[in-house]
Amino acid sequence: MENKKGKTFKEWLNQEHVAGYICALPFIIGFLAFMVVPMCISLYYSFCDYDILNPPVFTGLKNFQRMFTDTRWLTALRVTFYFAFVSTPLRLIFAMIVALLLFRSTKMTGVYRAMYYLPSMIGGSVAVAILWKRMFAVDGTVNILLDKVGIRGLAWLGLPSTAIWTLIILAVWQFGSSMLIFLSSLKQIPARLYEAASIDGSNKWQQFWKITLPLMTPTIFFNLVMQLINGFLAFTQCYIITQGKPLDSTLFYTVYMYQQSFEFSSTGYGAAMAWIMLAIVALITWILFATKKFWVYDGGL
Amino acid sequence: MRKNVLATLLAASMAAGVLAGCGGASSSGTDTAAPAADAAATEAAGTETGASGSGASLAFAWWGNQTRTDRTNAALQLYTEKNGVSFDAQPSDWDSYWSKLQTSAAGHALPPIIQMDYSYLKQYANAGSLVDLTPYVEDGTLDTSNISQSILDSGSVDGKLYAVCAGVNSPALLYNKTLTDQAGVTIKDNMTIEEFEELCRTMLEKTGTKADLPYGAADNFLPYMMRAQGVTELFNAEEKKMNVDDPSQFEPYFQVYKDGADQGWIIGADIHAGLTSNSVEESPLVYYSSADTQAWCAFFWTNQMEAMVAAAPEGEEIGITTWPSPDPAKSDFLKPGQFFSVSADAGENEKEAVKVINFLTNDVDANNILLGERGIPASSTVAEAIAPNTSETIQTVTDFVNNVVTPNSSTISPAIPTGANEAYDACNTILDKVLYGQIDAAEASKELFEQGNEIMSRQ
Amino acid sequence: MRAKRTAGTIIYHILVLAFGLIMIYPLVWMIMSSFKETDTIFMTAANLIPTHFTLQNYLTGWKGFAGVSFARFFRNSLFISVVATIGTVISSSIVGYSFARLKFKLRPVLFAAMLVTMMLPAQVLMIPQYLWYQRLGWVNTYLPLIVPYWFAIQGFFVYLMTNFVEGIPRDLDEAAKIDGCSYYTIYTRIILPLTVPAIITASIFSFMWRWDDFLAALLYVNKTEMYPVSLALKLFCDPSSSSDYGAMFAMATLSILPALIIFFTLQRYLVEGISTSGLKG
Repeated sequence: MENKKGKTFKEWLNQEHVAGYICALPFIIGFLAFMVVPMCISLYYSFCDYDILNPPVFTGLKNFQRMFTDTRWLTALRVTFYFAFVSTPLRLIFAMIVALLLFRSTKMTGVYRAMYYLPSMIGGSVAVAILWKRMFAVDGTVNILLDKVGIRGLAWLGLPSTAIWTLIILAVWQFGSSMLIFLSSLKQIPARLYEAASIDGSNKWQQFWKITLPLMTPTIFFNLVMQLINGFLAFTQCYIITQGKPLDSTLFYTVYMYQQSFEFSSTGYGAAMAWIMLAIVALITWILFATKKFWVYDGGL
Repeated sequence: MRKNVLATLLAASMAAGVLAGCGGASSSGTDTAAPAADAAATEAAGTETGASGSGASLAFAWWGNQTRTDRTNAALQLYTEKNGVSFDAQPSDWDSYWSKLQTSAAGHALPPIIQMDYSYLKQYANAGSLVDLTPYVEDGTLDTSNISQSILDSGSVDGKLYAVCAGVNSPALLYNKTLTDQAGVTIKDNMTIEEFEELCRTMLEKTGTKADLPYGAADNFLPYMMRAQGVTELFNAEEKKMNVDDPSQFEPYFQVYKDGADQGWIIGADIHAGLTSNSVEESPLVYYSSADTQAWCAFFWTNQMEAMVAAAPEGEEIGITTWPSPDPAKSDFLKPGQFFSVSADAGENEKEAVKVINFLTNDVDANNILLGERGIPASSTVAEAIAPNTSETIQTVTDFVNNVVTPNSSTISPAIPTGANEAYDACNTILDKVLYGQIDAAEASKELFEQGNEIMSRQ
Repeated sequence: MRAKRTAGTIIYHILVLAFGLIMIYPLVWMIMSSFKETDTIFMTAANLIPTHFTLQNYLTGWKGFAGVSFARFFRNSLFISVVATIGTVISSSIVGYSFARLKFKLRPVLFAAMLVTMMLPAQVLMIPQYLWYQRLGWVNTYLPLIVPYWFAIQGFFVYLMTNFVEGIPRDLDEAAKIDGCSYYTIYTRIILPLTVPAIITASIFSFMWRWDDFLAALLYVNKTEMYPVSLALKLFCDPSSSSDYGAMFAMATLSILPALIIFFTLQRYLVEGISTSGLKG
């Protein structure tokens, strides 16, 4: 099996670009087979008047124009920006601190980690919705505890100013996935670097700033990108706990989109909203990637 | 142990077809994941066929809890024994049910038998997703002779029968009878709004408890209040507007809430925020920590009374009466709690599906299993036959529906068109503003008038 | 010096434990509630410890629905989660290697495509995806819940692996290349062993997310016997009729166990100093 240049098949196979395509093949196939078509269909819907039950009718840019006159759309967008930009940094800082605390190996490490990771394990099930409401209800646990120390509690979920914070706290509470990624990244840092630093006489604090943090920047960047995307596309917290109440102060973009798509028979409009969101998230991600070279460590050790 | 897990993981990735050996053993460089994926696919397919057993089975989707699922399933098993037709039961909760149904509708793959709700009936019927059952009534496959005309008509859209009532319901104001007795007040049926508000003030004064008005449920109470003014059909799909000439027609609706908020006898939005909306178990009627969060009454439906009685703390007796209205006779109505419909995607199963619905509607044995869990059986003969076997609460409810509601009510409003759900949602948000004291009833009415008409004009 | 260190250790343990308890308080509440009589759960919500300890909720819950018990739901969930997870981890790891190490023309395009797939809200793809899988004849099977995961469909994992492979010093590759390793053996000999922490992390996530996912099951599974746990759990709560919170909490408690066991078994690989991590040499 020889080609023109006289390479054997084995040689041909071992070219960098060939190996690249072959190793990327699962994704290429998956993308073409499972993503491209549905994405195109949804893009088509965004230019249509479509209510699921009846066939779509092409209406051009109508759905996109509607967004600019829809005040609830604007509200949802504002709430989502607020949620994403507040919850993401909090979550990451929290995850980082806990990861550093739980990296050292003691007999209790497994238990501790499980404790901090457990909240992330129950995900977005009905149980979480009920739990969270019980915590923050007028007569809920938080207020009972506050009452014991003599502070008069608030209707956390009922006030437009605090309701969004209960959702932010929920997002921060479930920081486990970021924590785990930080842990596995800490594990990748070679011990010899710390050994060398100790010999040079730098203390733990200096080691953190000089070794740990710089070497963690790629992982921080990864978590930042992923969590920001997740923040913008957050759905479950709002859908199962507040449904946007009170007064649309917790109305997530995706929840409004879902309402339009499945409850208000404006599936086309919902699709248009989704693609605008994609554009926004893509832009933000692009900006993040553009800043990457200024603060993210790259290259070997 | 540790090593084993790791070994398994690595072995698994190797087994996927990764190449082995340094310096030249890279013989076949095909796609690495495909064979394993194929294996998984075959395995999955195997499981699937294994589960379905032999012979075609009829899919039947409904929403509801464990009780409904178990009883429906038992009734269907009876049908299987009699007719040899097996079923694929597809139970879900309310929210999931409609997501799933709409997605299947998009793919023209609705299950043959579906449980239908009044609020979706018109959309599905108009889109041609449901089968017109009239021919089956005519040829006797579906026996509707024991169903009252008005109940039967509620399943019709434009003169065609698309759905058969699965249980008769009516609005029900459930109240804490123990508490009202203690306070020395008697609750009379068919209260007017003035009488109701007076009662609420008395109860607040004597017991400190509040009234739980419908919250986040404008689709229930708004049309109920509008019917008192003779607006039986709020949304006009043909003219793309609401059948309301003047915003002030909405005022009585908002005013009740406004009064309640001002005078402090209503369970506020802040308390509701910590509860699952409209759930029986978390209704302030049965779930409270102090008088501040307790309701002496709550707005529900007759078929929910049994669950409410079960959820009530020991020693709390639950009473039932009608929802208040400026004109109860005009407002009140009998409503099919759910329907059974045959989907247009049933294909060759269409007739069998109709037979199943006929069985669930008219078979006494089946209804002795279902025991009116969906509401009072639509067929009067079945209702009578199973009455002795039903629980005490169901008997109270039946009595209430037959003797209190039926003589003093009007025909149900026509099924709502597209757009209504969005308008009701807007109304819920406007109502929040009233409850938070941001606007008064007149301003709220104006907002609803504007937003509602705007939403309808878009359809 | 020693006393100081012991004091530090004690403070460390107290702090970590105290804060950990706050973290899991809501869960403890749920677990405790699952041992309460179901109609007292909400009335006694303020008390953590049940007054009447009962296992009734576990018995009612386990019975399941329509004659299908939770044993079946657990088996279904395990099958779906394990098979999908293996697929995700293997495919993402290989693709991650190619994105991180190998240069080829379409790489930036593919990488961008991978990122974009994560940016479209999943809810908007529900119907188009359903239509597509229907065309493939996959509705009413587990295939849509499993097969896509064997093709690195979750950008998150691909990006995660890419990121970790990038963290491995390139001189190791170079050395291996000089030793005569092909691009494929570099992956199996160097990259794979060194990304074990990432693979473990990915396995934990993937298993958990597949376990929790109910949307796909809701859309594609049409028989009670095929329901996974996540979907069955939702059946306990139907506000339109009535809900059995006791049974729901009981089964929700049980449903955390598999993920917890996997976490406990695998998390040891994420502790400092156990592996020599191969980087020292």
